[in-house]
Amino acid sequence: MSDPRPAKQPWNKSSKLASFKGLRGFSDAVLVFGSLLLAAAVFSLLLSVLWSVISAGSGAMSAEFLYQNNRYISTTTSLDYGGVGHAILGTLELVLLATAVALPLGLAIAVYLTQSQSKLRNLVRAITQALAGLPSVVSGLFVLSIISFLDAQKSGIFGAVALFPLMLPTVARVAEEALRLVPQDLRLAALGLGAPNYRAFFQVILPAAKTGIITALLLGLARVVGETAPLILTIQANEGTNLNPLEGGVATLPTYIYGFISAGYASSITRAWGASLVLLIIVGILFVSARLLTGDKKKKKSKGSK
Amino acid sequence: MMTITPVAAELQAQDVSVWFGERQVLKDVNLTFRANRVTALIGPSGCGKSTFIRTLNRMHELIPSAGLAGAILLDGKDIYDPSVNPVDVRMEIGMVFQKPNPFPTMSIQNNVLSGLKLSGLHSDNKEELLETSLKRASMWNEVKDRLDEPATSLSGGQQQRLCIARSLAMNPKVLLMDEPCSALDPGSTRRIEATIEELSESMTIVIVTHNMQQAQRVSHETAFFLADDNVPGGVVEFGSTEQVFGQPIDPRTNDYVNGHFG
Repeated sequence: MSDPRPAKQPWNKSSKLASFKGLRGFSDAVLVFGSLLLAAAVFSLLLSVLWSVISAGSGAMSAEFLYQNNRYISTTTSLDYGGVGHAILGTLELVLLATAVALPLGLAIAVYLTQSQSKLRNLVRAITQALAGLPSVVSGLFVLSIISFLDAQKSGIFGAVALFPLMLPTVARVAEEALRLVPQDLRLAALGLGAPNYRAFFQVILPAAKTGIITALLLGLARVVGETAPLILTIQANEGTNLNPLEGGVATLPTYIYGFISAGYASSITRAWGASLVLLIIVGILFVSARLLTGDKKKKKSKGSK
Repeated sequence: MMTITPVAAELQAQDVSVWFGERQVLKDVNLTFRANRVTALIGPSGCGKSTFIRTLNRMHELIPSAGLAGAILLDGKDIYDPSVNPVDVRMEIGMVFQKPNPFPTMSIQNNVLSGLKLSGLHSDNKEELLETSLKRASMWNEVKDRLDEPATSLSGGQQQRLCIARSLAMNPKVLLMDEPCSALDPGSTRRIEATIEELSESMTIVIVTHNMQQAQRVSHETAFFLADDNVPGGVVEFGSTEQVFGQPIDPRTNDYVNGHFG
């Protein structure tokens, strides 16, 4: 006779906030408002950082600023001359050198941690995690001691060596996650077809984890691209463009920023902010491409399930 | 060069015992899988039938603690002979798994031909191999116009038949199927059962199934496996499917096939 369905609750329709009733509703409300408040706090921090970099850095921005180098430029030269072209190239050079070693090695660690059955895995994982906690200045100091031990001159290659241990754990950890997400079924399928282990890995597991591994690479790059302390300790400054990592000084964006901000003149400070903006844009490009690459995969999947 | 004419082979298990670490899970299994026949392995969960089917192409070796005694003869040759590479065994004895597992990064076509690439073999006529394999898995007409689409665009049942086609492209003598329909709907199950029947004309098939109606529909012979708390798994009864389900000799078989336990 009577309708077994519960009566429609009008407050569900009118407004979400109106459902915060009773004791449980109260604690819900506290949590929701707390989360919103914290999210707003983080967001406003981010916005304020972005705003200060953009507002202070845009004054230095011009096409010349992006490609000219810093030769014949003093801390008080007009902003119409000189730029960070040499520092962009130097940063890219050092980061690519560090990546050339950190990516294959980080990937190798990830493969070892996910594919082998060895009892040493936990030790390797613990060491990798400990390395992730290494302060960057310690890495720089370590390489500096190598330089003085070898009685060598500071040069770009030592900067890359100092960046490498900072990059390695990020690449290894994210790549490990990516490989772990590949279903075990696929490996079984490949081996069941008569594939040797290495072919199963290179032809099935690695392609399936491709986007995750690209993310590992990009996050690793983003981790070291702004590192300053290890570079101040291990490379010489250079006002001009020098792409030889084995000899002479090399400019990088972080050391450029450090140099000009310490000088303390109005135009030098603007230059430092300008370089910060360039660095921020580079990091932004890396993170956005990481997001796009992983997001792309999800889109494909949902298409496939139709 | 790969020949496309399939050859069935006889597979024989002799006194097969399996251990995982200290625990023995199978004891003295003796079974003969005759050429061009479908043999069903039935039994309650944990009786060792899935472990046993994996020993037939050495897939159980992927579990590091696994150990095996006895012999598995493929046309009289022991696949556990020290001179035999497990990789070669798996090319001759293919396997289809419980859950459809096509390679998600590959197209339909590349999935079928993936075995060649994965095992480093070359085929003179990939087009023909592709078509033959898909036809044998009875899905050529469904996919012939979409061979370049990703394998994940197929339905679950189609994915499982794609996995069968992928195994067939290696031209195995024996096909092992570990509960191939347990993740599929009745319609897809029926199609796979029809495929199994056609395939048995050209190869030897061993199928693990929890579904007793399915065992009766598809198999010529049935082996009933059973394990107990402290007794490792073994074969209780082996005979023609008609006999095992119609006039079981062992009372435990009778209880199981009539649904009294399991």
